Amino acid sequence: MTRIAKLAALAVVGALLGCQSPYAPRDIAMSVLMNKTLQQEDRFGLPAIATVFIPTTLKDAYNLGSPSGDVANFKSLIVAKLMAFGQDAASANALASALAPDIQPVDLSQPSAFLNGRKPADDVITGELHLIFGSNAALNDDHVDANDTPFLTTFPYLAGPHVQ
Amino acid sequence: MKRSAFLGPLLRVGTQVTGPQFTLRNPIRSPGAGVEKMTLYARFFFSEEPIMSRKAVLSLLLAGAVAIGVTRLISASDHKDSMLLAGDPAADIADVYTFSSPTNPANTVLAMTVSGFIPPSEASTTFFDPNVLYQWKIDNNGDAVEDLVIQAFVTGTGGHQVMHFRGPAAPSDIGATDRIIDGAETATVAVSNTPTPVVASRNGMTVFAGVRDDPFFFDLVQFKHIIAGEATSFRSPGIDTFAGTNVLAIVAELPSSQLGNSKLGVWGTTSRPQL
Repeated sequence: MTRIAKLAALAVVGALLGCQSPYAPRDIAMSVLMNKTLQQEDRFGLPAIATVFIPTTLKDAYNLGSPSGDVANFKSLIVAKLMAFGQDAASANALASALAPDIQPVDLSQPSAFLNGRKPADDVITGELHLIFGSNAALNDDHVDANDTPFLTTFPYLAGPHVQ
Repeated sequence: MKRSAFLGPLLRVGTQVTGPQFTLRNPIRSPGAGVEKMTLYARFFFSEEPIMSRKAVLSLLLAGAVAIGVTRLISASDHKDSMLLAGDPAADIADVYTFSSPTNPANTVLAMTVSGFIPPSEASTTFFDPNVLYQWKIDNNGDAVEDLVIQAFVTGTGGHQVMHFRGPAAPSDIGATDRIIDGAETATVAVSNTPTPVVASRNGMTVFAGVRDDPFFFDLVQFKHIIAGEATSFRSPGIDTFAGTNVLAIVAELPSSQLGNSKLGVWGTTSRPQL
């Protein structure tokens, strides 16, 4: 082995060791994912709502898909299903246009609150129940108005874990 | 808190409300005559009118949900949402959150939770999967295609994992096939396995990864009883089915100026190496 090759080998070993030292900057991770082609397994845009209309048989296909394909792949299915349940074509179409693509929109120039983005404290479910059940007080509020543990006012905002 | 302020507009169905109005500030291109055929999402970006009553659309949507059977809502929010993901909790996204930073109005916070329903007894022993790439995908021009991604992945095993963050940067691959983007990490942080969060900041990005309380809240149990015809009303007070349970959370806060537009479309993904 030439002297240069030995030095190069030493440098590689040093770099590898450096990456695993807690005192070294971890600028380049030695991830098992590096240089691999990765396949999407799940995706999430709008909470709870977007999943409503995707039948179980297509759920995996939906999770493996991309939002840009939602209109082509799922909108007609959604429209047909809505019409089968008695909605007229116009409202079924409007509804499907809201569902696809499944993306969380946010205008950062406006205060964040679901449906403009989504904050942890937003009571998404009660909002949806009111829309479903209107003034029916028995059903329009699950009476769970906030998280079980207060959110933090500073980063990382989410409450600490429950531990034993 | 009775209800967060955003619900006011949502609850007054049928009345004129002043909620967030989405008007065009920086037109990227003119939608022209086809605007009425555009998706609601595209109109959010391109319409010159405040987007139609997004609450009205949501209302329609949920009316449809009732017609179809509200039971599908119990995927709430997306916890354990398919057969494929049922056996893969580390890649199963529970929720995604996008909001302006409460502590710095110039910043945006992105959060993703995975691996729902972690009991307290497993809080310190549930870990991220080094074979999963966690991403926020960000569309900043309204075409429903990601222009930027923020990637997160762990190295290490057990209680000694480190979460690495790359981006925001243009992805090398678009769509359902992903690769780790070139370059160095924007930030890294030791994964938190205890209630004390380990937080790190670098290159303007503040990051966290680790076990937290599940931020989602809902009386799912009673809802199921109602759907099954076993109950006719919610309980008051309700009981949060997600109370006392944990998730693995990834949180990043970064300057909004790095995201390319004040109007964004955000979604979260998880990916694994192809077999």
